[in-house]
Amino acid sequence: MLSCAEFLAEFGDYLEEAASPEVRASLEEHLHECKTCQVIVDSTRKTIRFVTDCDSFTLTADQVEPIVKDVMKRIREKKA
Amino acid sequence: MGGTLAARNEQIDPFPGLVEAYGFVPNLFGLQKKLPRVIEAEQRLIDVIVVRESGLSRRMKDCLLRIVASAQGSDYCRALHAQTDSNNGEEDAALLAFANKLAKYTPWVCKHDIDVLRVSGFDDSLILDSVLTVALGQLLCTLANALRPNLDSELPAPTSIESSGLPEPVEWFETRGPYLQPGPQAASNFPPYAFFREQFGFVPKLFQEQMLRPDVVEAESHTLAQILIPEDLLSRVAKEQVVLLISTANLNTYFVAVHSQILATLGVSLEDSNQIVEDYRRAPISPAEMALLDEVRKLACCPAGGEAGFDPVPLRAHGFSELQILEAVAMAAVVNFLNTLQAGLGTTPDFPPRRVFTRKDLYPSSSPSRLISDATSPDDPDAAIVVRVQDGDTNAFEELVRRHSRRVFGTLAGLLGNLDDARDVTQDVFLKAFEHIGRFQRRSKFSTWLTSIAINTGTELLRQRKPLESLDEGEEEAEFRPRQIQSWADNPEQALAAAQRTDLVREGVLRLPQKYRVVVLLRDINQVSTEEAAAVLGLSIPAVKARLLRGRLMLRESLAPHFIRMEKRSPDAKLR
Repeated sequence: MLSCAEFLAEFGDYLEEAASPEVRASLEEHLHECKTCQVIVDSTRKTIRFVTDCDSFTLTADQVEPIVKDVMKRIREKKA
Repeated sequence: MGGTLAARNEQIDPFPGLVEAYGFVPNLFGLQKKLPRVIEAEQRLIDVIVVRESGLSRRMKDCLLRIVASAQGSDYCRALHAQTDSNNGEEDAALLAFANKLAKYTPWVCKHDIDVLRVSGFDDSLILDSVLTVALGQLLCTLANALRPNLDSELPAPTSIESSGLPEPVEWFETRGPYLQPGPQAASNFPPYAFFREQFGFVPKLFQEQMLRPDVVEAESHTLAQILIPEDLLSRVAKEQVVLLISTANLNTYFVAVHSQILATLGVSLEDSNQIVEDYRRAPISPAEMALLDEVRKLACCPAGGEAGFDPVPLRAHGFSELQILEAVAMAAVVNFLNTLQAGLGTTPDFPPRRVFTRKDLYPSSSPSRLISDATSPDDPDAAIVVRVQDGDTNAFEELVRRHSRRVFGTLAGLLGNLDDARDVTQDVFLKAFEHIGRFQRRSKFSTWLTSIAINTGTELLRQRKPLESLDEGEEEAEFRPRQIQSWADNPEQALAAAQRTDLVREGVLRLPQKYRVVVLLRDINQVSTEEAAAVLGLSIPAVKARLLRGRLMLRESLAPHFIRMEKRSPDAKLR
């Protein structure tokens, strides 16, 4: 069976549901037996959910238009 | 050459391999006598490819070498390989046609050509021998065309050029290799593989695909060790730039992808490498480096002929020594060898190519119309607008800014950690994109290209502020061991208000080392695919996956204290 270190090195594709059937089977075999890795998988999934859902680094719709305006103004000035 | 590097053939210390191959040491090598490490490397390649017994006879190999010499217009090399000249009916028409095409129209070679050889009775071993021989012919012709040796008294006067009778191919078939079946695996202690791992960080597929001939792979790694790696004359970066430029001229997608990556590990940004590929005359390099590229560009083997000859005079004027010029010529010869090898074997790139050469690159001036259907990213939702902008419709660019400003801003905000900076740099990114859009060839999606500009601009700014951090694909850090291994609450969203979660995530992301942060930004925040992130960052897909996982685990570590299920702490939990 995989060690925790081997599990942690391989479970990236598993999180993305992109692991091959063989890799998936051996990861799940480890997971079935290892409470610690179950916790890590669960909390990593929740982390991804937070990051994916967060608006920490996006512009609101009303912040987009001033940027569009400024960029086009600078381009037209440069061309003129 | 005008005022040749070494005007006369002088006696040099004997190179037994050359004497065995030719019966004497030809002037071609005598002219390189001041660089014995280079002659030694060339001698070893000649030994394993031409002299050593393999499937193809020596007579047949000489015939192929003469075909290459004719294709490259080298009288000297035709004479050098004329000693066994005879038409005894041994030559196979299919093999001659293949050699001719590989020598003269290298980028046109496709799987169909290999299939024709198979039907004619050639197995993988013979095909590999043939490809190697033609590739070696390119190396010798490059040397001869640059060094212009006097004809040795031992050699016959060159006969008239053997007409190939092969018209310029009309079709460019973009078939994917590799063309040969997988060969034997190398032993774990195979020295050339250790060399490649040490120097490049990986074993390029091109060498793995030649394991039917491990002796050849050894000679090739030896050649690179003797010509590419030493820094006593030209710098490694200068030689890698020669690799990139000649591979570009030869329309070799594989080597451009691999050596852009290798240049990145040497500290040359992917943007600067890309500039050499797209238009080296506008690359940010010194006048001396430009002069070097101007001259070696003339030594590219494809398309054969048509270029003015290599001239060492401008190089001397820029302060290059004779030895440096010789080394540059030898480097160019090795690149032509490797490019031809790759074309003949159909090796696919080890990294996602930033630039894929297609038939349009053969006739850059004769394809003025831009048809969306010709683009290799036909599913790019921005393609039509990009074409309008490229055709001069400035207003159309406004829609591209509107569509992509959130993504560009998001990437930069995460990278720079300062929203005001991100807003300013977002504008700069769009201005750069507009300025260079004429050169964007739509081999990738516009959004990928734009994100690359954003990442490069942002990292450049960070480098100026904090020069030690790098996005380059170097050594990954040691194994990461999670320390927070207590269960999280079932609904951790309920533990904190949305605004607090947003702040926590932002802080956590900003605390990540840059190389992990940028991958998390692209994949998890901007929802870019792994393949696109790899293309944007110039990393391999496994490297992107590894960094993403590491980034996510580190982020998990910083968020964990806020979301641990308080009532069920399990202090005994530990990793096994």
